[in-house]
Amino acid sequence: MFADLHDELRAVARDLLTARAPDWGLLAASGWTGLEVPESLGGAGATFAETAVIAREMGRAATRSPYLGAVVLGVGTLLLLEPGPVRDDLLRQAAVGEAVPVVVLPVAADFRVGVTSASPASFVPDAAEATDLLLLTRDEDGQPAVVALPAGSAAASVIAQPVVDETRRLATVTVDESALAGAPALRFAGDPGDAVRRLGDRAAVAIACDSLGLMEAMLDATVAYAKVRHQFGKPIGSFQAVQHACADMQVQVSVGRELVSSAVTAVASGDPGAWVAAPMAKSHVTAAAVDVVGKAMQLHGGIGYTWESGIHAYLKRAALNRSLFGSPAEHRRRLAARYA
Amino acid sequence: MSDLAAFRREVSDWCESHVPAGWRAAQTGAPDAEFVAFQQWWFAELKAAGYAVPHWPAEWGGGMPAAEQAVLYSELAAHDAPRLVLQFVGLHHAAATLLAAGTDEQKARHLPAILDGEIWAQGFSEPEAGSDLAGLRTLGCRSGEGFVVNGQKLWASGAAHAGWCLLLARTDPAAPKRHGISYFLLDMRSPGVEVRPIRNAMGESHFCEIFLTDVLIPQSCLVGPENGGWQVAQATLGAERGMTMLELAERLGNAGFRWLVSACAAAGALGDSLADDRLAAFETEIAALRSLCARIVMGHESGTAGPADASVVKLYYSELLQRMTDFGLEVSGLPAHAVLRKPASSGWESGAWLLDFIGSWEWTIPGGSSEIQRTIIAERGLGLPRG
Repeated sequence: MFADLHDELRAVARDLLTARAPDWGLLAASGWTGLEVPESLGGAGATFAETAVIAREMGRAATRSPYLGAVVLGVGTLLLLEPGPVRDDLLRQAAVGEAVPVVVLPVAADFRVGVTSASPASFVPDAAEATDLLLLTRDEDGQPAVVALPAGSAAASVIAQPVVDETRRLATVTVDESALAGAPALRFAGDPGDAVRRLGDRAAVAIACDSLGLMEAMLDATVAYAKVRHQFGKPIGSFQAVQHACADMQVQVSVGRELVSSAVTAVASGDPGAWVAAPMAKSHVTAAAVDVVGKAMQLHGGIGYTWESGIHAYLKRAALNRSLFGSPAEHRRRLAARYA
Repeated sequence: MSDLAAFRREVSDWCESHVPAGWRAAQTGAPDAEFVAFQQWWFAELKAAGYAVPHWPAEWGGGMPAAEQAVLYSELAAHDAPRLVLQFVGLHHAAATLLAAGTDEQKARHLPAILDGEIWAQGFSEPEAGSDLAGLRTLGCRSGEGFVVNGQKLWASGAAHAGWCLLLARTDPAAPKRHGISYFLLDMRSPGVEVRPIRNAMGESHFCEIFLTDVLIPQSCLVGPENGGWQVAQATLGAERGMTMLELAERLGNAGFRWLVSACAAAGALGDSLADDRLAAFETEIAALRSLCARIVMGHESGTAGPADASVVKLYYSELLQRMTDFGLEVSGLPAHAVLRKPASSGWESGAWLLDFIGSWEWTIPGGSSEIQRTIIAERGLGLPRG
């Protein structure tokens, strides 16, 4: 049943994401910004598993969109908070595309809480396009909590950070604690430390989904190209060297699908196994994607190195994904802590 | 508790009381006769529990749902049970061939015998027909009520102990090479059959050459149509790969990874960031392999398996095994070179790292080498033009 639903969602997404930078209103009208928002607040009441389908398709199309910052992470953060007027309002507006709530958190694997003037948050996805900023901070008891600020608030400065990958928008966010004093903290439902961990897993797995989409797109493109490009009077796809490189790409994609599928299921169901499945998916799939996209560029030959072919955009995005929210080595450190 | 969880408990309890504690030590350096006796004993134990042929149809003593088989293999691996090595071809390849293409008489003659411990070998490859199996030259000539066979087979695992052999021979030399091959059941006690063991890179001799000189095979031992043997072989070659790969993946994920961690601990490398990083990468890849195998098993069950799925798994498993055993060897250092024997009846990862590493080529070369698997993935899986 879910498989059918996901296939349908995937097919619609593939149609819609042909534009490099789809209109936010269109995404909202398709129900994507409110996928996980409860039905009582105007959303679809779906789970992370459905958000993950969109994330993967956005990778496949190398889509430029604040979906990661606003929906995967912004809405994802709001859903982890105790219900209340501020949270509910933001979710309601996010579902219809009026709000673009972006969470501000350090993009490392450890999810160190607390953005301060002394330590600004750098490389925050989509912060410059936010209507609202969700600052991950600590309440008066020292527990992780969230402060919501409208974009343009004097308490937070957002400066765009250009990066080579033009399909992502990152920013540096600096916070003025004095202007922040007195802002009401929104509390996490349940154990705040656990909520922050789950948020970190969401971020890591969403990026792994994106990288899987990049890999799938590049395998398809390479196979299609190898069937039509002729050299020495034959399609290059009939040469063993090319065939075997494509086979290796296929193996990486198959392996990536398994790791992503396990991690998505664990995160969506709140399974504690996500603590292991998420770093496995993030570390392996984002690294494999760089390798697969690199092979795609190689097998396309000279044309693959041109700006026109667009393969460079996939390679840059794959490389950025590998570094966002913790490097492969950082994620493997989390896994290895269990061996001692 | 779900049925599957109850079954897991049942198998786990059975393993606790049946897997002999010291079998690894006893099997290390054991003479051939002891290995054979131990294999037959363990097979009889599994048979008594109803775990020997779970993948066969119910009428032949199997009928276990795929999900339960997966649990069975995962529990056997978790309890570090001995592997069935000697019976492998009989239980899997011979049975699959008989069930798919055998006559009622052939099934009735052989399936119960396999369950009683009849050992089988596979006589496919030849000196001039390795990756290009269809180029085989062993000749079968019609003669009265059967065929007279002459030729030479190579890499027949366990042939020295086998009572029977799956045999491919050319019966129409004039036909295109894939249309002139017949599939036979060869009684290894027939006059004219000579078996010579070949010592492999590990120093073991379970591979054999089989020389066939005017061997008479009766018509009743032909499987499928005369000259239709290639098609029978193609249909049954990969048929059992899903579940057998799942068993191997479970073993890699249980004992295999545990040994890798303890090898690092023994070398004082645990906690070292480089060793930890490699370990975590292997744990991740094993997790992916196990889930890939489970998906393929379910794909076979539901008929949704892709044409190259089995090749993806075989290629990935064999190269992962090679990289993992190489790492175990590297991290263990010189002491690994002083381990002169690995336990018989163990998996491909026994903790005797150098021998395991060398033995890993027994996965990347036979059964379709890694190069052949990549070509299959490219041509059948991805639809690239034939080279």
